[in-house]
Order: sequence, then C-alpha cells, then structure tokens
Amino acid sequence: MAKQPEQLSPEEQAAAAEKKARRAISRRRFLMVLGGGVGVLAVGAVLGGPTLVREARLAINQAFLTGAAPSGAPPKSPFVWFEITADNIAHLYIPKIEMGQGIHTALTQIAADELELDWAQIQVHQADSARGFDGDLMFTFGSTSVTAMYQPIREIAATLREMLRAEAAAQMGRTTTEMVAVGSAFEVSGAPETRIAYGKIITDKQGEWSIPGTVPALKANSDFRYIGTSAPRVDLREKVTGRAIYGYDVRVEGMVYGAVARPPRYGAKLKSATAGDAETQPGVIAVVIQDGFAGVIASARTQAQNAILHLALEWEGGTTISQAEIDSIVSVPAEGGTLIQRDGDVTSAANSKRIEARYRTPMAVHAQLEPQAAMATVTADSAVVYASTQAPGLTREKIALALKLDEAKIEIIPTYVGGAFGRKTGADVGVEAALLAKATGRPVHVGWTREEDMKYGYRRPPAANHLWATLDGEGNLTALHHGIASSDVLFNPEVGGGGFLETLLGADPLAAYGGLIHYNIPNRRVIYHTTRVPVPTAYWRGLGSFANTFASESFMDEIAFEAGIDPLEFRLRYKPEGDLGARYEAALTAASQLANWATPPAPGRGRGVAVTYDRGTVVALIVEVSGDEQRIRVHHAWCAVDPGLVINPDGAIAQVQGSIIMGISSALYERQVVENGMATNQNFNDYPLARMTDAPTIDVALLSSDDTPIGGMGEPVIGAVPAAISNAVFALMGLRLREMPFTLG
Amino acid sequence: MELNVNGQTYEVEVSADDLLLWVLRDTIGLTGTKFGCGIGVCGSCSVHIDGMVMRSCITPAAIAVGKTITTIEGLATVNDAGEEVLHPVQEAFIEHQVPQCSWCMSGQMMTAAAFLESNPTPNDDDIIAAMSNNTCRCGTYVRIRSAVARAAQIAEDRA
Repeated sequence: MAKQPEQLSPEEQAAAAEKKARRAISRRRFLMVLGGGVGVLAVGAVLGGPTLVREARLAINQAFLTGAAPSGAPPKSPFVWFEITADNIAHLYIPKIEMGQGIHTALTQIAADELELDWAQIQVHQADSARGFDGDLMFTFGSTSVTAMYQPIREIAATLREMLRAEAAAQMGRTTTEMVAVGSAFEVSGAPETRIAYGKIITDKQGEWSIPGTVPALKANSDFRYIGTSAPRVDLREKVTGRAIYGYDVRVEGMVYGAVARPPRYGAKLKSATAGDAETQPGVIAVVIQDGFAGVIASARTQAQNAILHLALEWEGGTTISQAEIDSIVSVPAEGGTLIQRDGDVTSAANSKRIEARYRTPMAVHAQLEPQAAMATVTADSAVVYASTQAPGLTREKIALALKLDEAKIEIIPTYVGGAFGRKTGADVGVEAALLAKATGRPVHVGWTREEDMKYGYRRPPAANHLWATLDGEGNLTALHHGIASSDVLFNPEVGGGGFLETLLGADPLAAYGGLIHYNIPNRRVIYHTTRVPVPTAYWRGLGSFANTFASESFMDEIAFEAGIDPLEFRLRYKPEGDLGARYEAALTAASQLANWATPPAPGRGRGVAVTYDRGTVVALIVEVSGDEQRIRVHHAWCAVDPGLVINPDGAIAQVQGSIIMGISSALYERQVVENGMATNQNFNDYPLARMTDAPTIDVALLSSDDTPIGGMGEPVIGAVPAAISNAVFALMGLRLREMPFTLG
Repeated sequence: MELNVNGQTYEVEVSADDLLLWVLRDTIGLTGTKFGCGIGVCGSCSVHIDGMVMRSCITPAAIAVGKTITTIEGLATVNDAGEEVLHPVQEAFIEHQVPQCSWCMSGQMMTAAAFLESNPTPNDDDIIAAMSNNTCRCGTYVRIRSAVARAAQIAEDRA
C-alpha cells in the first residue's frame, strides 16, 4: 500500500507534489459536448498538446523545417466518448483494442468509478474512426494503455458526473452539495427515495449543457468502487458463446474472398504477372494485377487461395540469405555501435577478474492464433475497412496511400483481435482487402492462411548480446559492459520507423529495450549495434527486453556464481539506487518468500531467479525446473510484479500467467529459420508452441508501490522468463544455456 | 448437401471435398468456430460430429452428412423462459475468467465438453491429457485446467 500523505517526509511530500503538477500540466484537455439529441448526452474530450503520433510528427517536422516551436494544436479526435441514453445505459467507447489483455474491462472500471455507474447498466463499445476517433490514439501497444488513459478517463468521467450533478440539483431544486451519485443515479444525500437515474436527468434536461471550466475533484483511492477489484471481463459472454466478431469473422452482404500472391524470397518484386489459367479456376470472379500486386477474388476463400497458384508470375530480386549468414551478421562486433548508457568508466578497473559471456536469441513469430484478416468495401471516394488490428491509424494511412484516397474518406472499424503480440501492428492485410475491393467494387474479405502469416509477417529480430564484467579483489562488481546487436524493431519502415529517426538516434530504441543497466554498479556501459538482416523484423511481445533481459539477467547469475554469492542476494546487493532500488528489493523479497527461496528445492529440481524493470514495472521471477536429455520442464513459477496501482488484480494475474507461458514456449521451442531468403517453418507442425503439459503452477504477488498505475502489465514479465529458466538449469546441472531455444542435448 | 448443425438443417451447395470449417463459417455463417492452422494441429476449429470432437479444418463437410454437428453456437441451451443457459464448460470458463483473446476458446470448450461427457469426474492428469492438444497462445492453460475441473463440478451439481 502507498503511504498516506501524513506519513511522508517533507522531501517525499515535495516530490509527490511535483509529480502531481507534472501530470496536470502535461495533460491539458479540451472537453466537448458532442451529439446530444433527445435524451442523449455524449461527452468526448480531446487531449491538448502534441501527444498523438501524428501531431507529434507534425510538431517535430515544423520545428525542424521552420525553427518554430511546436504548435501544440489540439487534434480533433475525441479521446474517450461516453454516451448516456434515456434508458440509463452508459455507452463507453473505448479507444484501445481488445486483444485479450482485458483493456476494455480495465478502462471501463476506471470510467465507472468516477462516473459512479451501475456496472449492470454499462455497454462497452470499441471506438472506431467512424465515431471520429483518431487511429493513432487507438494504437494499442507497449503495455501503455492503462498508464496513458488512467488520468484522462477519470477527469472526463468526473466532469460528466459533475454536469449531471448540477442538472440533478437544478431539477430537484437542491444544491449540488446535497446530491450524491450512486449506481448511475443521483439522489439527495440520505434520501434514496429521491433517486433519479442519469437517463432521466438527461431526458428532462432543458436547454444546452455546459461543461465546467476546471476538472472537478477526483475520488480518493479509498473511495474506489471498481478500481482495484477483479471485475469480470466485459467481453467474455460473447466470446464463450461464439458471438464475438473478430477480423476473420466479419461478414457483409455480397462479400467475396480474396487471396494475394506472395514472393518466393523476402524483398522479391513482381517482374511480370499474367492471369495464367487462374481465371478459369472454380469460383474465380476476378484476377487483379497492378503495380507489383497480384491477387484473385473468388466466391469462396479456398477457391481464391487455390487460384493464386494458377497465376503466371515471375519474381525478381530479393534475398537468398541463409540462416548461417544471418547468425554471422547478427553478432556483437568489437568496435563501433551507438553508446546508449555510460556511467563511470568501465575500462577503469584494472587488475580485476574479468568475466565474459555471449548470448543469442533467434527470430520468432508471434503465432497469434487468428491470422491477419480484414474486410473492405471501397467506392470511388470512400472506403470502410474492418480489421483485426492493433494499429488503426497505420492501417488507415497505408490504405489511403494504396487507394490514393484522403484518410478522412476511410473508416477503420477495429474488431476484436484474436491475439496480436505485436503482429497486428501490420497493415498488410487491410491494404490487400482494400485493393481487391477497389478493383472489383465488391466487399472483399482477406484472411491469411497460417503459412502466409508465419512466412510473410515480420518476426522478432534476431539478437546477440555480449557482456563482460569485472570483480575486484574483494569480489565486488566494479564494471559491467553490455553490447547488443539486433535487427530492427522501430526502424522497420513498414511499421513507421526508419529514416530521420534512425539517423537521429543511431540505436533502435525498441530493439534496445531492456538493455539499460539499472543495477547500482559504479561503472556501466551499454552499446547498441544495428545489425540489419534482409528479413522483415519488428514488434514482438516485450520488444528487445526478451533478448536483452535474457542476456543481462543470465549474466548477473554468472557473475554471482563467480563471486560466490547467492544469485538472489547478489541482485539485492546491487539493487538500483533510490525508489527503483526499493521496488527491486520489495519484488525480490516477495518472490523469494513466495518460492521459499531459502529452502533448497527437492533433489532433481533447480531454481533460478531473474529481475527486470520494464515499462515502469518491476518484475521478480523465480522458476523451478527439472531436466533430462529429453526436455527441460518448468514446474513452478513464482512472480512478484509491481506496476503501481493495479486496476484489475485478476486481469493482471492473467497477464503474468500468459507472459510466463509464452516465455516458456519461446525459450524452449521457438526458432524461425530462414534458408534461401525465406522462412522454412510454415505452420505449427514445424514451429511448435507450448501446450498444457508445459504449463507450470504459477503463484503471483501483485505489489503496488504507487497510488496510480505507473507501469504496464502486458509485456514486462516475459523478459524475465528465459533468464530465470537458464539460471535454474545452471543451478540444477551446472550447464549454462546461452542460446535460445534451450536444449540440453 | 444437407447438414444438421446445432439442431437446424442447412441445405448448402458445396462440393464433396469442401472442408467443414469453411462451410460452417463462410457458407452458413457460423463464425464461432475458428481457423488457426488448417492442418489439424492447434484445435481452434474443433466441433462435435455425433458427439465426437473433430477438427473441422481437415474434415470434409461431406463426412458430416446425416450426422449431428454441434458448434460453439450450439453449446448453450435455452430454458423454458427463453433464456440462454450456458453449458457447464462455458459457465466455468467465465467463472475462472479463462479466455484472453479467446480465438482458441471455441475449440478448447468443445474439446472440454466432449471430454466431460466421456469422463464426468476427471482428475488433473486426465484433464491435462485431454486438453493438451489444443493450443492457446495467450497462455491460459493454468486456467483452462482449473475451469475444466470446475465444469465437471457444475455439471454434477446440475444433474
């Protein structure tokens, strides 16, 4: 629990006040009343300042091109949208994509608390561009949804509540201070018989609504009704009954199915294309060949996919790279690179014992179970695209380019997403559906096969890490150097990076994630080496933290062993300074207690620990393994996580469980191999995933070192998994695993 | 051909080798049954044919002619008051908050429902053996395991 204000020291009070002020200043907002009509009150809000990607880009460009200060013009998009209708249903339009992480539920809890809603009278909707939402705002990535939305949603919900309070007071002839909000209604304090539902207040409203000029006081944490409770997921009923609609499920009248020709090598372009005998194949409606694109539309999905094989295509260019070449490119060179952290001087420690190790992380696919899917309807001057996407803004931008249409003419309707993990930042399938729909004038659905998704998406970049450290004569850790070599995440131009950003930064910040050394070691240095391979790579759950935390936390274990100190104790000894150090200590202590670390495991079992700080969240993970020449088995995992205030504890635990199991899957089994310029794994028969038999018992401790959400939950845990496993295997059998996927043979 | 799905008869014009998954989803419009791999490995497409769990992505629709097909949309029942009554498996999956993205869950629940018909009082090892051929990328296995056990209990309580 966070300390009460009166328990804080003067310094702590000052720090808290400063933090509060920063939040308030950085979150200037403009509220607007939108819609309305009989018996409806809709409130949206837009964020002030260059907070959205597009606005930020505009501002940066203006600053560089003209020397002018960023304009800070507010975007026109609503930030959130609440609509209360006469039937007293509060419709919440949630501008983040539900892909299994439970974000629709968590953001609803935040809104419902300030707005004092009756949980049973809420209807949650996915926001979309048709309702004016900005696609970039809807971009759901990086475990940032709760931390970014928490404060603004509360403020907007509180504002709406106060508007309703003023109106309720006026209608009852009372003062606003007498009115109490409870269960989607107002009543006079102590007189429940006076209760009027929000819907009725709105229906009886005469004249215009006015919005308070200042943000009303927000609830104290101790008054939360929904925040901090394990509210059941709002989307599960329609999911367990099969009614939920995902991108692959979208159906409209008159729809047909599309499929698209794919190159035999990454980077290959169509040299020539003709219909071949595709047009005479069963069900084929049209063959579409244009600008390096070849596709088929047919009455049935499998007919379209079959007809693609009958096109006469000639490809040119592209890569013929082999896995051996990729492995040799992705290695940490002795020189060069971009310095991304420097504290002290790592070369200063002479006459010390030097420890050194190299680690490798392979390419991996997302293997989200719903492959890419979209449905497009395109007319001469408009398009409507339903898409299973994390990135509605990017999807809209790419479709606009492909169709040569103004973005404003394109509606993106995000659907439920059947797993993403970064893969659904790809706008590929939306563009394909739009191109095919435009060519034929009919609504076209494109759903990728598993083989297409596994070969033609982008993948987690291959990475190599080189670490060395020095111990002085007393066994103190005096210097730590971490060299990272990785292919791109953000710098992949297909997902929005590259170019100017790359020149400016030199190091791909998302591939470098998890690379910084937070331990309190006097001399620290991290160098990033861009080692690009001609195979598309980009976002994968946890970004660089999966590879970099694997390396750095395995290496901490190696140093601890050399120093002859218990690995958990060793991490505590070098915990970061200040608040972060306190959080490390709390997390390590909690995990240690959960796992009963002080008591050795049973014979045949080994335990390993890893700790990480990622996206504001501190994670300490202990796992217990057994191993023989057949396989490594993770039997038990104990995880302490500190993301600050937790909105939905059960949802947070689900993210921990899922991250641990996905981490086990990737660490033990997953490796995408490329030969002759193309991935060789195509489906789950040659790219196995963890099964129920691989799932350990998982115990979770949620820690809250802050009274607001300060860290993400979707990704931070996964980074800790590989190192915890490799360290456990070392504890068990003295074998260091420095390359994933782990094998004992 | 004529297919009986969830108690309803559908006359569909498809060829003998058309796969049941696409006939259900694209021809009939029952999109609750999901496509995951197309090679019968992940289990997302699992349906019941005469009570047996089948992977509809590798099963020709013709095989199901004259048989009873049940999909996720037909797992719940309707009571006398016209209300939807969830199958014990569905109820348990909500109670234990199992699904994350839920793309695999139709297959998971169809597999679990058929399994519990054959083994109404399973132990943990039985559950793991029965469920270990269905993939969940979100990593909900811990909850699937507990929810299947819970579903057995709900079914027993209802009986």
